[in-house]
Amino acid sequence: MITFDTFKRGFNNGLKTLWILSRVLVPVYLVITLIRLTPIIDWIAVLFKPLMFLFGLPGEAAIVLVLGNTLNIYAALGAIASLTLTIKQITILAVMLGFSHSLIVETAIFKKLKVNALIVVSLRMGLALLSGLILNIIL
Amino acid sequence: MHYLQDFFNLGILGSLKSIWGIAIIVIPLMIFMEIAKDIKLLDFIAKLFKPVTRLFRAQENSAFPLAVGIIFGISYGAGVLIKSSEEGDVDKQSLFIISVFLAACHAIVEDTLLFVAVGAQGLLIVLVRVLVAFVTTTIISRLVSNHSIKRSNT
Repeated sequence: MITFDTFKRGFNNGLKTLWILSRVLVPVYLVITLIRLTPIIDWIAVLFKPLMFLFGLPGEAAIVLVLGNTLNIYAALGAIASLTLTIKQITILAVMLGFSHSLIVETAIFKKLKVNALIVVSLRMGLALLSGLILNIIL
Repeated sequence: MHYLQDFFNLGILGSLKSIWGIAIIVIPLMIFMEIAKDIKLLDFIAKLFKPVTRLFRAQENSAFPLAVGIIFGISYGAGVLIKSSEEGDVDKQSLFIISVFLAACHAIVEDTLLFVAVGAQGLLIVLVRVLVAFVTTTIISRLVSNHSIKRSNT
């Protein structure tokens, strides 16, 4: 049964998600914006260019993948929003992160499901790398 | 001074703009999710997933945790899955194979919409993630069941 309470719960959940998201997204966005005003961003871009090139991404997009995999998708969103990327590049990052994100927290959940951590992590990262490579070729 | 001004314009305004873009997607989404729970949409979707569980050589009972995980995310999905396995509704092999699918593909609605909010192509993301998770899980389910047959022969 849908009541007024349904909408209230949904709205509150939305605000809660937004609050959790903002606490991660805003600091990430600010730090990357700051870095982009310094030469550090160029160093990162050059360092990761050979790897990111395989996925059709600029070197600095490595920041997105690292934050998404170690922290969570919210951090990755902050990084995507603060960098200058094309629609194709954002879509490739989204698919890669879809397969592989929040590895520390979520691998703990899969351990509770009695699935070997090594299997989960290699499966997820493998799918992410493979999908990035293939999407870069076909898109 | 210029740097400070740039930082303010780019950083504060930019992040606020991103948050706003996400807010107009996340709040309606969460309201929709609550409606989905209240009209028991999941029971209906779980029915649709029953043939899928057969494809994965998993028990039909695992269709419900599978649907919860794909739509609402891994924390919800794992919770339901652990409960079902503790109550004996879902056997070990089904638990493993559903976990494999959810490892590759979960929270498809929220994650996709969040990326759409920062500029990604949503339909493409959903198609690729679901298709790849299907193929991968089907392959792994064959490997797992072959494995157990070999073992029981020796």
